[in-house]
Amino acid sequence: MKRLHSVLLAIVLLAVVTSGARGGQPGPPTEVRAVPQTRAVRIPLKPLSLPDVAQSSNADAGTLLFTPGAEDELPEGPDGFDVLEDGNILITDPLRDSISMFDAQGKFKGAWKIGFAADSITALASGLILVREANTGQLHAFDREGKPRPAEGAVLPQPAEARILGEQSGTVARQGGGTIEVQFDQPGLRLLSLESLGTDAQGNTYVAMETTAGGSGSEDVNLNKYIRKYSADGKLVSEVVKVPLDYYIVPVDELRVRKGVVYQLTSDKLEVRINVWDMN
Amino acid sequence: MLSYLLPLIWLTSGFYMEPQTSAIARLPLTTRAEMIARAHKLANHTWVCGAANLKASCSKRYVSDWKAGQHITGIPYAWGGIDGLEEFDNKLAKGLAAGGHSRYGVLACTAGIDCSGFVTYCWGMGLKNHAYSTSNLRQIAGKPKYNWFTDMKPGDVLNKAGSHVVMFTGYNPDGTINVCEASGSAARVICHKTTWSRYKGYIPLQYKAIDE
Repeated sequence: MKRLHSVLLAIVLLAVVTSGARGGQPGPPTEVRAVPQTRAVRIPLKPLSLPDVAQSSNADAGTLLFTPGAEDELPEGPDGFDVLEDGNILITDPLRDSISMFDAQGKFKGAWKIGFAADSITALASGLILVREANTGQLHAFDREGKPRPAEGAVLPQPAEARILGEQSGTVARQGGGTIEVQFDQPGLRLLSLESLGTDAQGNTYVAMETTAGGSGSEDVNLNKYIRKYSADGKLVSEVVKVPLDYYIVPVDELRVRKGVVYQLTSDKLEVRINVWDMN
Repeated sequence: MLSYLLPLIWLTSGFYMEPQTSAIARLPLTTRAEMIARAHKLANHTWVCGAANLKASCSKRYVSDWKAGQHITGIPYAWGGIDGLEEFDNKLAKGLAAGGHSRYGVLACTAGIDCSGFVTYCWGMGLKNHAYSTSNLRQIAGKPKYNWFTDMKPGDVLNKAGSHVVMFTGYNPDGTINVCEASGSAARVICHKTTWSRYKGYIPLQYKAIDE
């Protein structure tokens, strides 16, 4: 009888162990590292002064221009960005028809006069930088020095597919194959959306997720945003909890990941802020 | 006894209508499919900016978003504007300026549509005047009782009084949403995929005269 119990126990244990490894499912829960904000890059904003519209491109080059909007009009200004391999940051300055470059600490390095208002920047691994014209959606290509390059055939890389499966689960495709299974088990909260931020050279995948406690009855749309890092074998490694959502100028490019570091574009009435979380 | 009951009978008989209810009864009925069709027509309307459309005759401060000869898809954003397709094309042909922002004021010499004008146009409201803004949109649109993260329907809107309003057109499998809007930063009407976090603090509203 005792021997039978031992055999049954072994079978149960084996079943538990193998079930966790099947189909890329995450294994037993491990300690998830909460990543605090590492730093913020701050760039001063300057309100657009109407008499200076025509001359504004040469004024205060280390600042970025904005308009405060009005009743029924949102503030307008820098809403697109990307981070280059060397840590330099490119930010759109649509009211000057230009793109400004800052170093990793926020020191102004120069501006590209591109001749149109841009709302999105994507630095490709090939070295090309794709810039989207805000008013037309047309893509323009530049090199790392800001010189125009032929943009024929240039396409923006599409994020890997994500899917919500239920209130607590979803999947995100890994670039290079396979699927990450996302589980969100917080009492009283539900998973709203999933967005792949990319897979790095080590196979780690970065995922932005929106969650909420409400959806009806509460007065307005209320939610939180998290960023998670999953290892190459699909395990949840670390997490940024409650990403700030207090946008002043609503970003088109909100999040970028470079070399395991997450960057978020946000702003208030005084400055553009690039929030940085080092998830390495 | 009857004198006490008469008002109650009258109130419940259907003959009585609150002023608000009668105002709602005067709203144009429209289907959700019509709302979305109007939104897509404004977003997909193609036009060419002529040299005359770069200048606003009634404002010296005006600076155009466009270049002469530029081919554009989407009715231009004009703060305070509420032009439909025909009105916009007519104004463009007459040499009015294409679009404008609040920094130039509400200009009679521009053509285009703003965020609340866009939503009310899609709901089938008249173009005679810009009667509704994000601040009084609740007079013609109520807050739905459903869960807006799962049960919004095309044609409902996300509104932030005094700020901005967009029209919801659908959910995506990844939980994000699709919206159409008259966007100041895009300078025109656009339809695009977006995330919920851009609408934190907004209130979902449903037009009160939907022909379901």
